[in-house]
Amino acid sequence: MKILSLKKFQLAALIGAALLQSCGGGDKQQEKDELAVADTAPAVDNQSKGNQVESNEVSYQVPSPKEMFQFIRQVGSKNNKRTDILNGPDKAKSYTEMKDKSVNFGVYSCDLTYCSIFEIGTEAIKYFKVVKQLGEDLGVSTAIRADMLKRLQNNMSNPDSLVEIADDLYFSSFETLQNGQQGNVLAMVVAGGYIEGLYIATNLIKYEKNSPAIERIAGEKFTLENITDFMKKYESDPAVKEALAKLNELKVVFDKDVTSAESKDLSLKKENGKTVLGGEQLSMTEGQYNAICDKIAEIRNAYTGK
Amino acid sequence: MKIFIKVLIPVLTWSAVSAQTSVCSNFHRKACHLEGSKADKRAFQYNSQSKSGLFGQGTTSKIRCVVYKGMDYRMTVCCETVLGDKINFKIYDGRTNEQLFDNTKNDNVQQFEFSSQGTRQLIIEVTVPTGEVKEEKGKPEDAACVGLLIEHKVSDLTGFSQY
Repeated sequence: MKILSLKKFQLAALIGAALLQSCGGGDKQQEKDELAVADTAPAVDNQSKGNQVESNEVSYQVPSPKEMFQFIRQVGSKNNKRTDILNGPDKAKSYTEMKDKSVNFGVYSCDLTYCSIFEIGTEAIKYFKVVKQLGEDLGVSTAIRADMLKRLQNNMSNPDSLVEIADDLYFSSFETLQNGQQGNVLAMVVAGGYIEGLYIATNLIKYEKNSPAIERIAGEKFTLENITDFMKKYESDPAVKEALAKLNELKVVFDKDVTSAESKDLSLKKENGKTVLGGEQLSMTEGQYNAICDKIAEIRNAYTGK
Repeated sequence: MKIFIKVLIPVLTWSAVSAQTSVCSNFHRKACHLEGSKADKRAFQYNSQSKSGLFGQGTTSKIRCVVYKGMDYRMTVCCETVLGDKINFKIYDGRTNEQLFDNTKNDNVQQFEFSSQGTRQLIIEVTVPTGEVKEEKGKPEDAACVGLLIEHKVSDLTGFSQY
């Protein structure tokens, strides 16, 4: 009877597996990272722990470069159309090693996002093609649907649609790598996107004391921390280890050069009917800003081969 | 046949679990309340730090994200009804671990909006409370998808100030 039950279970598992796999579409693997951080222990009463968060594993989230470009566009000039600072699409052919392909997939995805946000439609198509090609090499071709190029071509004069398509591409590639358990490639792609995003931003923004754009760049030190903490999980991969070492050098520059003013009220409070989260004022001198610009250019050019 | 049982069955069973959990992929995009017209530039936009995962009752999971000065954020939690209709979430300072917000002390709100006056790291802790499980046809009773949707927009300026 026990054997019979086991066989029934196995048969059910087999049928269930076949059904679920066939319904799963592109999502062939579980979201490994998400499950890795799920703590199945009973919920902790934080009140009894003095309002301190428990120290179980945390998943590190990284804002996409889109968010920084949108901020720059909104607070600065909409005419920051500098294609000369992007990584030339023609260079894609020269990336033969996997580490170069993965970092530059992130770099070119970021360039595509920049072109979309700053309404440079013709360049966006060139970058889309390069991203598609590198994506195929990295095994994320399923994330880059054939209709995306058509949508891109049909929406050249519609910046919102361009951004949406670029975003779609970014997230579906990210998801494909995550679901395909290519965490090491994902780590390199994320690093590439961050490096290029910061490189473009530092080329667009001229130093001005107390400028919100400069303060935004100073705040990138926190995003960098999230990226390096995320990458540590894959540092057994030599390429990730190398990239992590480079980003840690940048982190040293950030930590040295970005200063926080004495803390104001850091709590949540109501102000004019709005909930406001307090925060520190981040600042840096022109020399410190230039040090960050130089370091990011050095790292970026080492990967893009300028 | 023995090989089939010893090798293939565990593989397929694992595949079944994998396929089941991947259902949560992008759950937050599909299920959490997403507002904001694309035509309205002031509207909230999707933030890439959003996340979904497979949770059981009593599961707690945390993410560390970055919020920037001069931005408004809206955070929404949602889950499949099998887990009930209320999710607990708390927000902590990423550096000091000081608790900043607890929705259980704020009418169990599932959506929370704030304006950030500084750039900082936050830890968001999401918990599915234990309680009665609702049975749903074709769904496991002990685990379901939970999503945390984060949206952002540049804060509106007041007065004559400018960036």
